[in-house]
Amino acid sequence: MTAVDPEVRIPDPLDTERDDEARLRAAAGLDLPRAAGRAEYAGFETVGLPDRPPQTERERQLFTLDEGEMLVNMGPQHPSTHGVMRLLVKVRGEVITDIDPVLGYLHRGIEKLCENATYTTVLTYVDPMDYLSAMHNEHAPAIAFEKLYGIEVPRRAEYIRALVVELNRVFSHGLMMGFLALDMGGLTPILYGFINRDEVVDLLSAISGQRMLFNFFRVGGVNWDVNDEFLSRLGKWRSHVLDNIAMNERLLTENEIFRARTRGMGILDGRRAVQLGVTGPNLRASGVPFDVRRAHPYSIYPELEFEVITQQTGDVYARYLQRIAEIKQSIRLIDQIVDRMPHGPVQAQVPGIIRPRPGRAYAAIESPRGLYSVYAISDGSATPYRFRMRDPSFISLQALPTLMPGHLIADTMAIMASFDPVMGGVDK
Amino acid sequence: MDWTLLLGIGRFILATTLLLLLTIPTAFVVIQMELKIIALMQLRIGPNRVGPGGMFQSTIHGFKVLAKEDTVPDQADRATFTMAPWMVYMAAAMSMLVIPFAPGLVAFDSKISVVYFFAVLGLSVVGLLVAGWASYNKYSLLGGLRSAAQMVSYEIPLTLSVVGVVVLTGSLSFTEIIAWQLHHGWAFLPQILILPVFFIAATAEINRAPFDMVEADSELVAGPFTEYSGMRFGFFFFAEYVALFIMSTILVTLFFGGWLAPWPFPAQLGGFIGTIYGLFWFFLKAYIFVFVAVWMRATLPRLRVDQLMGMAWKVLLPLALVNLFVTAIVVVVGKL
Repeated sequence: MTAVDPEVRIPDPLDTERDDEARLRAAAGLDLPRAAGRAEYAGFETVGLPDRPPQTERERQLFTLDEGEMLVNMGPQHPSTHGVMRLLVKVRGEVITDIDPVLGYLHRGIEKLCENATYTTVLTYVDPMDYLSAMHNEHAPAIAFEKLYGIEVPRRAEYIRALVVELNRVFSHGLMMGFLALDMGGLTPILYGFINRDEVVDLLSAISGQRMLFNFFRVGGVNWDVNDEFLSRLGKWRSHVLDNIAMNERLLTENEIFRARTRGMGILDGRRAVQLGVTGPNLRASGVPFDVRRAHPYSIYPELEFEVITQQTGDVYARYLQRIAEIKQSIRLIDQIVDRMPHGPVQAQVPGIIRPRPGRAYAAIESPRGLYSVYAISDGSATPYRFRMRDPSFISLQALPTLMPGHLIADTMAIMASFDPVMGGVDK
Repeated sequence: MDWTLLLGIGRFILATTLLLLLTIPTAFVVIQMELKIIALMQLRIGPNRVGPGGMFQSTIHGFKVLAKEDTVPDQADRATFTMAPWMVYMAAAMSMLVIPFAPGLVAFDSKISVVYFFAVLGLSVVGLLVAGWASYNKYSLLGGLRSAAQMVSYEIPLTLSVVGVVVLTGSLSFTEIIAWQLHHGWAFLPQILILPVFFIAATAEINRAPFDMVEADSELVAGPFTEYSGMRFGFFFFAEYVALFIMSTILVTLFFGGWLAPWPFPAQLGGFIGTIYGLFWFFLKAYIFVFVAVWMRATLPRLRVDQLMGMAWKVLLPLALVNLFVTAIVVVVGKL
């Protein structure tokens, strides 16, 4: 037992916390000197700058404010950043001079989770990545694992797969039209988009049992065959889906305000888009006819007729028109699939625990946001050794800092919404 | 003792109190209309829980803001931050003083009531600018500056489009403008070209969609109101909807005969019955234009700041000037 020296002051943890808070507040520029009752505006435009010397050339460039410039932080809690994206925007007046997207607020480590799951259960983990196209998320790993294990998928299962992913594409593109309008202050199109989405998810829940994260694909097939409820709902939906899309088109496509705000806005030319790795509707809107379904055919797409539609201008309006055109192509595909669907089993014979031979497989599909691909390495065990997903939203976001400077704050949201990023997929 | 002066003061106090009391139910009605009509247009049901058919939803919202905590940001300029909602609300409420609601029912019948009206309503821009400046928030600052630019720009075509009616009727008093319309027919027919200009400029002046740049929620969160909470925010919110109602009443007064019925007003209808009859037509016509504004909000996306300014200076202002000259020439030629 040792005697406690009364002179030694035991540090009070609360004190250090207070010191810490004071230091943090000073660093954040919150404790500026205040004249009695009056706010001190000196340094207002620098609030938000980090309290450390810049670490990289890019940081030095972003955090150096010229005369009249101000740093505005948008997000991660902002009404229209599509989830939890954060944009650091440098503005002069309302004109953007620099922009820096900050990602990672929704990171859940899904790839790592998948590397610790068996091949069968991986398909349940990938659903919430790009939550507006859960069917596509399942499609890519299913193809990759079938390649790894060497499974032949029954024809009927392939048709059902194509059917559900095209249904998913229709509602995803329909929502994009609504979100684009919402970010420009149009309140109604998003509601019409959600009416369409609600009908499609009811359809898909009739076949899969769930409305958002469907968990419908299996390695070697699909979980259920089509049933009567699904088919009757499909017929009903098909009879008025084009009317629903036309409702939104009437509100937006010829709307003078909408056109004035989207044409010539955020122009991404085809060459630049290819350099940045942008794929999907965003690339085709810039005039490059690249569609994975046609360029690297998978599933039953070689047997189906559809056009790879492109736009010429590459602006926000072109990306919007591209979505509408693709909805119509998807509906054309759905008609053909339902028409030609063969009889047969929907699931190949697959063992309960899949142990592929060591090797690697790559599978790419066309998701509503672009080229969605999976690279999986097997080491012979029941779990993937490496599981990597390429999310197209993440790649599309690379284009933002190149497009936005020179535009106004109001246009940031329109340009971002036109790329249709889903932060669940970006942050994984 | 000058009894007429005392009577005048008493009448003024009574009228202002009544008008201030009128603004609250007006705001409730307009907000409820907006909730329900936009819901119908978006194929939703809308509020249907509070009261029969959900008709008390906006009232509950109004009382809810009373119960909320009122916060002031640490770095805010407390005095101006506190005063800004008051200024915006009073600008809207005070401009109601000169509106003739029915025959003889006007709080403050001045010979220059048109000038008074636009002068007082224009004060609200000061409140918004102060709110944006005092909040110590970058979104608020941007919103406040936007509001200043927008409202100052749109006041010019708005006022110029009214001058056409003033030249036509030869009066700056709302009651006399209505009296002119009683004998010559509603003023929107000779002024049909300027009516859209006035409507667009009025919509922009009160920051309604599609010109709600000031509080563009997808860009600036809530513009100058971002840091406000509780009843201070409530005052801004109420002022906005009261201003919408007031702009509709002014549109009706200037162009659609105020409290006049669409057919000749029965001259023998005097006193209380005549007042009720006039009030009925006045509110009916005013709420038709409130409905149009709500309809526009449900339909149109928002303009961009530079496009908005371009429209005010390049389209509306020349149109208003042309209309003013044509009206003046017609009036002068008619008198020859």
